[in-house]
Amino acid sequence: MTQTDILSSEQEDLRLLRESARTLFERAGGSDRARKLRDARGGFDAEMVRELAEAGVFGVAVPEDQGGLGMGLAAGGVIAEEVGRVIAPEPVVSTIGLSLGLLRRLCPDHPKMAQLIGGEISLAVAWQERGPDGAPADATCRYADGKLTGGKAWVVGAIGSHGFLVVAEQDDGPVLVLAEADAQGLVIDKQTQADGSSLGELSFSGTPAAELASSGAVLTALAEAVADATALAAAELVGLSERAFEITLDYIKTREQFDKPIGSFQVIQHRAVDLNVMCEVAQAGVREALAQMDSETDPKVRAPIASRAKARAVTAAKKITRDAIQLHGAVGYTDEFDIGLYLNRALVLSAWLGDDAYHRRIWFEAREAEGAAQ
Amino acid sequence: MTDWSAMTDAEFRKEVRQFFEAEYPEELRHLPHRPKFAEIEHWHRKLHAKGWVAPAWPAEFGGMGLNAAKLLIFYEEQQRWGVNRGRDMGVQMVGPLIIKFGTQEQKDYWLPRILSCEDIWCQGYSEPGAGSDLANLRTRAEIDGDDFVINGQKIWTTMAHDATHIFMLVRTDPDAPKKQQGISFLLAPMDQPGVEVRTITTLSGETEFCEVFFDNARTPRENLVGELNKGWTMAKALLSFERIFIGSPSLAQNALGQLESFARGRGAFDDPVFRDRFAQAALDVEDHAALYARFADQLKRGETLGADVSMLKIWVTECFQRITELMIEAAGPDGGSIGPLQVGNVSVDVLASFYKARPTTIYGGSNEIQRNILSKAVLGLPG
Repeated sequence: MTQTDILSSEQEDLRLLRESARTLFERAGGSDRARKLRDARGGFDAEMVRELAEAGVFGVAVPEDQGGLGMGLAAGGVIAEEVGRVIAPEPVVSTIGLSLGLLRRLCPDHPKMAQLIGGEISLAVAWQERGPDGAPADATCRYADGKLTGGKAWVVGAIGSHGFLVVAEQDDGPVLVLAEADAQGLVIDKQTQADGSSLGELSFSGTPAAELASSGAVLTALAEAVADATALAAAELVGLSERAFEITLDYIKTREQFDKPIGSFQVIQHRAVDLNVMCEVAQAGVREALAQMDSETDPKVRAPIASRAKARAVTAAKKITRDAIQLHGAVGYTDEFDIGLYLNRALVLSAWLGDDAYHRRIWFEAREAEGAAQ
Repeated sequence: MTDWSAMTDAEFRKEVRQFFEAEYPEELRHLPHRPKFAEIEHWHRKLHAKGWVAPAWPAEFGGMGLNAAKLLIFYEEQQRWGVNRGRDMGVQMVGPLIIKFGTQEQKDYWLPRILSCEDIWCQGYSEPGAGSDLANLRTRAEIDGDDFVINGQKIWTTMAHDATHIFMLVRTDPDAPKKQQGISFLLAPMDQPGVEVRTITTLSGETEFCEVFFDNARTPRENLVGELNKGWTMAKALLSFERIFIGSPSLAQNALGQLESFARGRGAFDDPVFRDRFAQAALDVEDHAALYARFADQLKRGETLGADVSMLKIWVTECFQRITELMIEAAGPDGGSIGPLQVGNVSVDVLASFYKARPTTIYGGSNEIQRNILSKAVLGLPG
């Protein structure tokens, strides 16, 4: 096999994966399903989680010897793009990137791995605390004698999850523990997000939790999992942007004013082209970043690649969803039109794990550090 | 003759790189202006002896016969080392046209002269009233005995003052129902009483562009290429490869490198606002390169590029302009000064870069025209 053959067979695998994910989401109702779930305030659909698991979605980036498909982050990105296209509320990216990202690096033999991959449970990762950057460096959440005290903020997928993977401090350093959702002394404050999803603000008072891993490896694995999730969130934004653009393009082709489709006016056409170009650049940049992360093992190199991806994806998604509202005109400002769902989801995904300005800063600082080291 | 297709892309890249690095004259690297032929003649001789003047032409006509993938590699290496393209209008435009549409006599006569640069060509397309609306061109050519007689005016004719011949689109049927019809493709000698060339001084003070006036200029009838009145379709057929080339990341990448060394010397990175804008520009270049790679892969797989390739040109030229604008910002009070500015051990001609970036959004189909094309051909928007 030549290198070109290997490349194209890899791409063929990804194409098949994309097709099956798209079919699955479309059959389930596409973006209408997201609207219904939002209106029912039901969070996500556990049945959908099981169907996704059957398709291999959650284990896509988990190595084969750990029970996954071993297709890497690039394949995770394919799934994430499809999630973004239908703004599915299931915790796909947080499970692939954060929960499984942590477990497969720290305790790959833990039984929760198989349950997560199988869609039987979902686990939310609680790692941030309120502070300037939301980083775990000054963790005040303590773990001692099998019990947690303190709090964690911005926990994605907290509502409806079966338990929490909590990064905490114990006397001799960082520790990863598992707290069940119904554990004693755990209070979950719900912060509703623009898209109807919730962030959890957790407080523990002597909450029982089981230790999974400890020492410096916890923070290294966490940084890696956060980088993975950041890049996957970028891919989700790419899929979201693409679909938001398609919806808008359809709209300007059919909406008539002055007896013509508004898409026949040059000012609208040029704006549409700019959004299209923005979208294509984002797709190319993010897919390249994911592929690079797959072929790179040094965490110091992988993190800025993830930042590059998120910076681009957020810039594109913000521009595309906001211009999409403008191009829809007044109806774009109503809840009835789907385009607003995309704007709201973009707001949430942009804020999660850092927006474009934040990631440009991280990317630039890493570049400077690398330059200084040389 | 070398069979390039027997080589892997990596081997080919190495070979091209080695040749440029060993043979290209140091004083001609990254020339800031378009050279006259005399300035680069010694390099052209080497290239000609090597048989590398026309990488895209089939080997039977004296070209290298490269496939799209290797052609792209050739140009990438050329740009990487700052190798001047030379006076390549003949090789890039006239040769392919004659190869595709010319008679055997035309091929035998013109092609070797293009390769040797015995003839140096300029392109007579634009006119005062025919820029973006090129089909509106008015320069007439009428048959008179064995000749065409040419009257009219061309403009923005790059390096016409250093050319021996012009290839031009002329109107041969003023009564055709559509203005795209009735246009023919003619070759004409410049050295004759009916042709007058005046240089145009640009904003940067250069004189690369010219006006060319035709007052009963003559060219033999056998210098018509292809069929009479079919010139428009032929000229369009030539543009496919040009469209990815014009969207290549190299101009923006080089400018970004200049910006970085200049800004560092000037301490501009101490300013967090500048840092963020630099990061934006750098990421704009990096992500453009990813999109460029996607189109290049398409070519390498032997696929034809669609109209969507125009988006490369839009993005990279506008990005190139932003980068040169940041250079001016970093220059502070020196931002209006002509000539190289010294910072540490590098010298950067800030305004030269700025000026160089301006016409990129105008030439090769202005970015507004590119947006029109994308909106109709790619997005399927009406009207």
